[in-house]
Amino acid sequence: MSEKTPAQSTAGGAKYLTFSLGTEEYAVSILKVQEIIGMMDVTPVPRTPEFVLGVINLRGKIVPVIDLRTKFDMCRAERTDETCIIVVDARTGEMGIVVDRVSEVATIPEGEISPPPRFGVSVSTDYLLGIGRSGGRVQLVLDIERVLSEHEAAGLASLGGDAIDPALSQEAGDVR
Amino acid sequence: MTAPTAPRDLLTLLDCSDPGDLAPIGALAASADAAAAVAGAPAVRALLERAARKLWSVAEDRARDPVESLAAARRLLAAACAGEAPEPEPAGHDAGAAEPTPAEPAAPAPPVAAIASPPSLPPPPPSADAASDAGIESDPELIQEFVSEAQEYLAAAEQALLVLEGNPDDRDAVDTVFRAFHTIKGVAAVLGFAPVAEFAHRAESLLAPVRDRRVRFGGDYASLALRAVDMLRALVDRVAVAPAGSDALPAGFTALMDALEHPEAPAAETPPAAAAPRDAEGGASPQPAPPPPPADSGVSHETWVRVRTDRLDQLMDIVGELVIAQSMVAADPGVLSQRSRDLARKVAQVGKTVRELQDLSLSLRMVPLRATFQKMTRVVRDTARRVGRQVELVTDGEETELDRKLVDALADPLVHMVRNAVDHGIEPPAARIAGGKPPGGTVRLRASHAGGNVVVQLSDDGAGLDRDRLVARALERGLLESGDGLSEQDAFQLIFEPGFSTAASITDVSGRGVGMDVVRRAIESLNGRVEIASVRGRGTTFTVRIPLTLAITDGMLVRVGGQRYIVPSASIRITLRPEPTALRSVAGRGELVMLRGEAVPLFRLSRIFGLDGAIEDPTQGLVVVLEEGDGCSAFLVDDLLGKQQVVTKSLGEYVGKVPGVSGGAILGDGRVGLILDPPGLTALARQEVWTNGAAFAA
Repeated sequence: MSEKTPAQSTAGGAKYLTFSLGTEEYAVSILKVQEIIGMMDVTPVPRTPEFVLGVINLRGKIVPVIDLRTKFDMCRAERTDETCIIVVDARTGEMGIVVDRVSEVATIPEGEISPPPRFGVSVSTDYLLGIGRSGGRVQLVLDIERVLSEHEAAGLASLGGDAIDPALSQEAGDVR
Repeated sequence: MTAPTAPRDLLTLLDCSDPGDLAPIGALAASADAAAAVAGAPAVRALLERAARKLWSVAEDRARDPVESLAAARRLLAAACAGEAPEPEPAGHDAGAAEPTPAEPAAPAPPVAAIASPPSLPPPPPSADAASDAGIESDPELIQEFVSEAQEYLAAAEQALLVLEGNPDDRDAVDTVFRAFHTIKGVAAVLGFAPVAEFAHRAESLLAPVRDRRVRFGGDYASLALRAVDMLRALVDRVAVAPAGSDALPAGFTALMDALEHPEAPAAETPPAAAAPRDAEGGASPQPAPPPPPADSGVSHETWVRVRTDRLDQLMDIVGELVIAQSMVAADPGVLSQRSRDLARKVAQVGKTVRELQDLSLSLRMVPLRATFQKMTRVVRDTARRVGRQVELVTDGEETELDRKLVDALADPLVHMVRNAVDHGIEPPAARIAGGKPPGGTVRLRASHAGGNVVVQLSDDGAGLDRDRLVARALERGLLESGDGLSEQDAFQLIFEPGFSTAASITDVSGRGVGMDVVRRAIESLNGRVEIASVRGRGTTFTVRIPLTLAITDGMLVRVGGQRYIVPSASIRITLRPEPTALRSVAGRGELVMLRGEAVPLFRLSRIFGLDGAIEDPTQGLVVVLEEGDGCSAFLVDDLLGKQQVVTKSLGEYVGKVPGVSGGAILGDGRVGLILDPPGLTALARQEVWTNGAAFAA
């Protein structure tokens, strides 16, 4: 389920969309990116994890949006003109990811992605495919499916759609 | 110029045609249609029709992969050639039953035992080799078509068999069954599904003497034929799941194969004593007209187009967007300004058309309840036999239409209810006679439209519900502490409690204590409701009300804090601004609002959903009272923003099921609003109060 082989390469490198959260630059395979849209009104969905900002209307489709800063346990940032939503085509359907700023589409040569370091980055290494270098800068290459699937396992299971204990509602019913 | 109609000619023409030139392919497609129209064997006809469809898709430039479609058409034509040769159909075999086979005088032979030696039958269907050569079996689209067509044929056959049980001389019914077995046999053979073909062949053989009027239909024939239909269904389902067919055969396959070959050896499954032919009721009451022969049950293709449901969903989505886009234009200040009255009129005109389009696209998803009701005929028959009752099912309003998804979702709860009605509702014949009733009971299933809802009513003329027995059982099960003061209606509601069962013994039909609570939950999950009415000794009536569709929700838009939510109108009992005197607070148990002397628990939506900035004082806000199951709960909101019809959408797989929320909808301003799920919300609210209020114990 993790994309161990990112974007197939053309002439020695795959394309990535790079974006930033605070001072760190991230990269996500361009093949996962569907479009980039400006920040818009998000309808919060109750009883979802904090990093799930809510849902938006993307041309008539309801698309969930997550805040990557919250997901990565970074402090919240002010929304700016540059804040935007990257719509990715994930296994769970279209998803919006809020980032501080989108930078560019960069080609990272295959040899320039090294395994993630064990420490020293703010993000759990589980979410990283590796550390890439392009244009003299360093990017944290994200495994976006991992980032998005973790929630299913940890978040939703604990919330559980039908988690209401029938015994509880039963007793509560006697109140009437 | 006459078009060639022999499959072989078509094949030759196809091989000569230039795939780049679409005109001749259109002509070829028309020829294939013509060939299909005159084809003798149904299997060949089906193959030709499919070939024609493939060719048309290329000719009209609709094919996603024209080369592949042409190749598929070629394979189909080849199969049609192959299918034609080795199966010399006796004349009249599928031309309907217009003329019985002249060789056999139609003397009504004594049933069953008459077949001393099985008549010689047509040779087994063409071997799978022909198909393998043609490479047909690998085409998933063909297999899917076969599966869905076979299912239709089997449904029609089942229905016809049930008609036959009541009227063994119904020629149309015999032919329908025969045609189903025969067509499935042919197509399965061509596609290389040997077990299906063989089985269908046996089933066909079983009925051949009936069709030829050498044997009267009845008794064991009926049960055998029905079991054959079930087996074929299982086989076809198996094909749908694993077309490669490497799986084990369904249980009982061999035994049933043998049974079909020797129908005179009665199968143990059917105790003949339990059989309850319609005639048993005698001439006192006029027999209700037997259901019309299912001649129209989807088998003719001329006026029908098969459309994938996801395309219909897509259409609904796009039209929904159009509606929103139009209302945004209509609300635009430029349009509303005095200067452009003409423009406003035109925009309104567009709006009218768009809404018509929405109604139409909704209606495309509607299907009649007929198939579901037909299934119930079988359920009644089988249940009645198993529990030794005589029951007749009378249906009415089966043409009532509702959303396809709801029809599917309604089937299971309805099966439960119908079984219950037969098993628990209708008394055994002896008890009925003792009670001055005819020995055979009647179960009525009625459907109709009422407002935006569909009402399905299931009534029986059985014993009715016994309040005292219900209460006794509830006490015994610990579901109730005391039955004192419990109204009859409240006692009836007990049967929906989990773990409640009134059946004295546990049968395999019902009485496991899972039935009705599951039924109620299933119906509530469809935004529906079940009501019970019962008169002791006279019978019980269950009334199920569900919306026409889940694709559109009729709702009330409410505001809480900065958020807006849609509350389904169907669950709203009343909205009101409470007087201070109507509010009560119970220590540790939360708040109550008095509603015409009834204390209704009051919950704050803002607290349940953790919203800021909402009105805290109930007398300043509004209270929406929701009806759910057997009770009410009230929810405090800031304001009502008006009625709105919204297109229901899922929040996506990532968000999944959110307690208290059934989905989302795009509101008039383009933002998303969440649709509340009243039963879920109430459960959530009670849980909230329970966890927050420490001293909840009674």
